[in-house]
Amino acid sequence: MTSSSTPLFPASAVKWPALAAGALLALSGCAVSNSEAAPASGSALRVVLGQEPPTLEACESNLTSTGVVVRSNVTEPLVERNPQTGELEPLLATEWKATSDTEWTFKLREGVKFQDGTPFNAEAAAFTIDRAVNSKLGCNVEGYVFGDADLKVKAVDDTTLTVTTPEPDPILPLRLSFLEVVPTSTSTTAKVREPIGTGPYKIEKWDAGQKITLSSWDGYWGDKPAYAKAEYQWRSESSVRAAMITSGEADVAMGLSPDDNIGDLGVDYPNNETVALRLEATKAPLNDIRVRQAVNYAIDKEGIVSSLYQGKHKVAAQLVPEGIVGHNSALKGWAFDLDKAKALVAEAKADGVDTSAQISLVVRSAQFPKITELAQVLQEQLSQAGLNVKLKMLETSQHLTYQVRPFAADEGAVALMTQHGNQAGDAAFTVDQYMLSTGAQSYFGTPEFDAMIKKADAASGDDRKKGFEDIFAYQNDKVVQFAHISHQTGIIGKSKSVNYTPNSSSGDELRVSEMTPAS
Amino acid sequence: MLIYLRKRIVSSALPLVVVIVGVFALARMTGNPASLYLPLNASQQMRDDFTARNGLDQPLLVQMADYFGGVLRLDFGQSLRTGQDAAAMALRAFPATLQLAATTMVLAVLLALVVGCWAALKPNGVADRISSFVSMAAASIPDFWLAIVGIWVFAITLGWLPTSGVSGAGAWVLPIATLLLRPFGVLVQIVRGSMVSALSEPYIKLARSRGAGELRMVTHHALRNAAAPALTVAGDLTVGLVNGAVVVETIFGWPGIGKLMIDSILQRDFAVLQAAVLLTAVAIFALNILIDMGYALLDARVRPVTARA
Repeated sequence: MTSSSTPLFPASAVKWPALAAGALLALSGCAVSNSEAAPASGSALRVVLGQEPPTLEACESNLTSTGVVVRSNVTEPLVERNPQTGELEPLLATEWKATSDTEWTFKLREGVKFQDGTPFNAEAAAFTIDRAVNSKLGCNVEGYVFGDADLKVKAVDDTTLTVTTPEPDPILPLRLSFLEVVPTSTSTTAKVREPIGTGPYKIEKWDAGQKITLSSWDGYWGDKPAYAKAEYQWRSESSVRAAMITSGEADVAMGLSPDDNIGDLGVDYPNNETVALRLEATKAPLNDIRVRQAVNYAIDKEGIVSSLYQGKHKVAAQLVPEGIVGHNSALKGWAFDLDKAKALVAEAKADGVDTSAQISLVVRSAQFPKITELAQVLQEQLSQAGLNVKLKMLETSQHLTYQVRPFAADEGAVALMTQHGNQAGDAAFTVDQYMLSTGAQSYFGTPEFDAMIKKADAASGDDRKKGFEDIFAYQNDKVVQFAHISHQTGIIGKSKSVNYTPNSSSGDELRVSEMTPAS
Repeated sequence: MLIYLRKRIVSSALPLVVVIVGVFALARMTGNPASLYLPLNASQQMRDDFTARNGLDQPLLVQMADYFGGVLRLDFGQSLRTGQDAAAMALRAFPATLQLAATTMVLAVLLALVVGCWAALKPNGVADRISSFVSMAAASIPDFWLAIVGIWVFAITLGWLPTSGVSGAGAWVLPIATLLLRPFGVLVQIVRGSMVSALSEPYIKLARSRGAGELRMVTHHALRNAAAPALTVAGDLTVGLVNGAVVVETIFGWPGIGKLMIDSILQRDFAVLQAAVLLTAVAIFALNILIDMGYALLDARVRPVTARA
């Protein structure tokens, strides 16, 4: 820059600045871009994400931005959940069973190698669990899936692993499906930005800020994937991601909005995210269940879905969509009935509830498409029911202080807009957090409700399913902490040159090996 | 000049410290980043571990002393988000922004000189009116809108340029064009204004009477005197570009320092934010010195003052 402004003073000519500009352009070209455009299809699959992964560390792969690159591409878990059927399927473990109340035994696949050439065995599996769950690394997956519970792991022989839990845990294999297996050479004292795994692709190059390239690994135990390379770039604007599909610069674009209008290049898929208002029932006027019911009646969910989301979302009656174990298909969304809402508010007021007290509608900016419009609609509809609603749009960090315990104090009762994604497939991952009276994201509960949740958590099979179904019905009937709005639909941009059908886990785990070039 | 330089460096050290202390303290007043980095259902134990692991449980003054101790050893700490060295992240992102800003400014200045001089030759003539309209429009179009429209027209509809990214020369066109417009608009008006007054000075009349060609008169006589105000404004605009390229960087996926700063603010990635701010502050300080020196070279009246200082 300096060379650009100083040569200006011999005002005799324009050639110096021109030369400087040329030189700068050339220089900058060399420094910033050293990558050439990839061919349109065939050898390399080009994916554009919403953000650069902060890390590719395997024990953080439950984070969407990390998992979308790493999971099942670079690293693999012992078992994996089929997003369509919800069943667990063998991956690095070929079979597993509960050998006692608290012990599970896994039989491991033979002949599998890590990308560094070392063999995969029970020792590596045990090491992975120890590293992620029992260490001081502070892995995200630890808190997300396992909580504070430490697991005892034992490599019985090369292909047999036992895992012991402190309490009976009927869904331990499901929990382990979040752990991506790494070799024993992986650091136990620091997180690793570029992990080694057993997956079909290995990390070839990470140009920080620009691009990650994965390349097909010849030693993979399974079928060789169709694409020799996968290249990931990132753009924060969804309209730019969509434009990259339209212009042929990318083959797959994640997280598009209905507004991006890319026609049949956009593919809808259920992303398992549910939007709801969480109502703080410890403060007036939300401390009266009639007011919380009124909130539910006052929201025109059909109208919201059809006008804001082009009918692509589904009206929600509970926090988990179809396909999650425990989803209660008998539940219907609350009817939109403004008169009833007004009547309930009036009734509460007659009984001495201060219905004029302010309710803060707390919303995270840019959390999902059209959230600002949605918040404004909700504010208007709740006001029509006779409630005093103030809209607060916050950035992520501030919003989190309202979202998780210990909750931020507000000047009034809070109605928090929450977007919940159950990517695990089991309602336990929802209700423990959102409905237990001490749950990290729950304002309140009742002793009876807590007991129902604990019981369902410990149950298995049909009892478990039934237990959670009852919990969702009970919440709508007796607790009413939530005013459900909609189950969302995600949009992936996909060029015509790629065959791929996204499913409910595509946003968290984009399996490149499931994609093939269209001929 | 050397004495002047030394004095400027010494007097700039204090603002730098104030900036860093301010950013340090303000960032920490926005709260503990634990909930951003831990799972939503993290236990209190996990939160405490995180806070202790990152030294956030210490009193602010202790944290600050630790940080400045590190800075003196050129250790700027680690990114919470990526685990990488904060200084390395800032140093990697900075050149990308600098190149973008420098190229943009060189082009903006060149274009503004040409258009501004052209307009100034005949005040209120057709050229003046056109350039005045164009430059006003250019100075007021929001860059976000311009970037999106640019992508739509040149990348999607015409297919001439890539939508975004950094690969190939084509990728530079839209970001630069987007960034260029506002400084160009402002500079045209400055150049025009100072050229109009320079061209009415007696020495121009003298030159004209001695038969100097129009072009030579503009480039050799008037422009030299009219360039100084434009240079000062261009310097300020460059500072603005280094800071304000964030919209362009965000839209076009340009891995620059503006985007890095915004991300580290939103993610409460304190070490990276501080490293980026410090680097930018030093660069702006250096830039200001260069502008002053350039000004001194252009305008003899400024020289003795600065030389004595």
